[in-house]
Amino acid sequence: MSEVLTAPLVVEFPFTRSLGPVQSAFLTGLREGTVLGVRAGDGRIVVPPTEYDPVTAEETRELVEVAPAGTVTTWAWNPAPRRGQPLATPFAWVLVRLDGADTALLHALDAPGPDAVRTGMRVRIRWAAERTGAITDIACFEPHDQPPDEGQPAAHDGHFAAPVTGITTPARLDYTYAPGRAQSRYLQALGGRKTIGERCPSCRKVYVPPRGACPTCGVATDTQVEVGPRGTVTTFCIVNIKARNVDIEVPYVYAHIALDGADLALHARIGGIPYDQVRMGLRVEPVWTEDGRYPDHYRPTGEPDADYDSYKELI
Amino acid sequence: MTKEPVAVVGIGQTAHVAARRDVSLAGLVREAAQRALDDAGLAWADIDAVVLGKAPDFFEGVMMPELYLADALGAVGKPMLRVHTAGSVGGSTALVAANLVAARVHRTVLTLAFEKQSESNAMWGLSLPIPFQQPLLAGAGGFFAPHIRAYMRRSGAPGTIGSLVAYKDRRNALKNPYAHLHEQDLTLEKVQSSPMLWDPIRYSETCPSSDGACAMILADRAGAARSPHPPAWVHGGAMRSEPTLFAGKDFVSPQAGKDCAADVYRQAGITDPRREIDAVEMYVPFSWYEPMWLENLGFAAEGEGWKLTESGATELDGDLPVNPSGGVLSTNPIGASGMLRFAEAALQVRGRAGAHQVDGARRALGHAYGGGAQFFSMWLVGAEPPV
Repeated sequence: MSEVLTAPLVVEFPFTRSLGPVQSAFLTGLREGTVLGVRAGDGRIVVPPTEYDPVTAEETRELVEVAPAGTVTTWAWNPAPRRGQPLATPFAWVLVRLDGADTALLHALDAPGPDAVRTGMRVRIRWAAERTGAITDIACFEPHDQPPDEGQPAAHDGHFAAPVTGITTPARLDYTYAPGRAQSRYLQALGGRKTIGERCPSCRKVYVPPRGACPTCGVATDTQVEVGPRGTVTTFCIVNIKARNVDIEVPYVYAHIALDGADLALHARIGGIPYDQVRMGLRVEPVWTEDGRYPDHYRPTGEPDADYDSYKELI
Repeated sequence: MTKEPVAVVGIGQTAHVAARRDVSLAGLVREAAQRALDDAGLAWADIDAVVLGKAPDFFEGVMMPELYLADALGAVGKPMLRVHTAGSVGGSTALVAANLVAARVHRTVLTLAFEKQSESNAMWGLSLPIPFQQPLLAGAGGFFAPHIRAYMRRSGAPGTIGSLVAYKDRRNALKNPYAHLHEQDLTLEKVQSSPMLWDPIRYSETCPSSDGACAMILADRAGAARSPHPPAWVHGGAMRSEPTLFAGKDFVSPQAGKDCAADVYRQAGITDPRREIDAVEMYVPFSWYEPMWLENLGFAAEGEGWKLTESGATELDGDLPVNPSGGVLSTNPIGASGMLRFAEAALQVRGRAGAHQVDGARRALGHAYGGGAQFFSMWLVGAEPPV
């Protein structure tokens, strides 16, 4: 049994959000230390405010100001906070119904331990020292001993100077990526500068890179076959535009190469020839660098070009 | 028991632009849905179910947006489904909705597809680094350009065909107020001298990156009878899939696309698509896909699609207008792009396409594809109910 490879894979991006009228008012309000809700068709005050009525689907635009203090409606203790959570020390996730609101807001409660938290307890907002117009303007909630404010929430026009209209919400996913047994075998063979494919026992096609199964027949590939090292450029494009994740100088030639003995083309870069002289049918061979896992690129072998009929089924 | 005939009784779309910074995601989809309801003369309470589609979640970074959008689409207390088949999703979403009506599960269904590309970066989303693999790919253009070169070699098409398509679609877009690109000053020479991005694809032969949404209301016979405007009737619809890569895959004319079209034509009783279909809205994100799909969809023999394009047959006043709306080349909110093709086909047979109306269109094809040319969805709509 050969070694199966794994590697960390981090996917992250600073996504942007345009807010629209209701979320813009809500987040700008937080920046100003004001919590806004919206009145739904049935008279309930929804906090955080929604743009559309949860019952009738009509637009909701009647904003009201609610209190910065409220009552915990339920909670769960978080003993081991993770990166990006509101507090670095253990805390309670709480749903808080702010005074004047009919729905509850999810946030963190700073408390010494689970014994200090109970449903029905009174809490208030601890504002962040620097506020930008984001849910994190509420640093967290903290215990509070004032009784509920029984007054009706006041109407608010939602207008503030310099409203926040968009925010950036960075997202990050951490994976452990495993390419699987077939890919691992392929990569290990590349370490010895050999390219191996795997043959489908049913249709006899040789897959390079192998994926462990034939996608057409739906059966496991069972035989390893060394292919190449030479091959034929079946088609290509010249890339003149840099992608965010690809660190290759442009222009470069991105080619489909049918290695001799393979039944479908793999994809690689062509070098050792001016980019505008690459052509379909060009015969190429791999060029290895000292520590590269893959051939750095493929270069012309100097053989005559392959006849179109010899590779047209592989395009 | 026969299927219930399905009618398109309402269509709505947003104006498509590079960035809709004035609305939230919810506000964006709402705009299209409200316009579809207005067109159908219906209210939120009249909708029985909502079927939503969009392309990969990385295109906005909102995981399971259907949950967040339930309020905005009036789906509370109703069934709500989300469909995902990459770029073809707008088409498959409409077909899932149509099947719910055809099967008499629901009588009136809102179907909607969207993308707010400005909140992410599609080229990033399509080129995520994978451990142990060489990072080579440069977005969708880099993926599809070699297949276009293969088509050019196989068909012997002159190198200018792609520019003719781009110039035609961008001029058609001038007649479509919802289209993203309105390039008043574009000339064929400008298309042909625009920068080469992924040779053989030039800048002016690629689709833009758009924010937008498209919605349709699908109804049964009774719903169609109450419709304030003429409905479009679904005469056939099909989806087909195949793997991204396999030995023997024909990227130039994928088998799944041929099979999908054949199924739709069989359902609709079409034997000669070139003569019997009056307008086509096909998914052409890179100009050369027009001649390629003309062959794949049976409008031209293999290797002959470019001749149809070159002859002018696919122009707005030709005998087989392709993408009278301006198509994906002029408007590309990815998840919505397939539904826009389906909706624009329906607008044509309803006679409600405005300045880009094809005179007398009675039957129109809507087409979408996605992934590595591996998901296909199509429908054929007509001005008359199916027999």
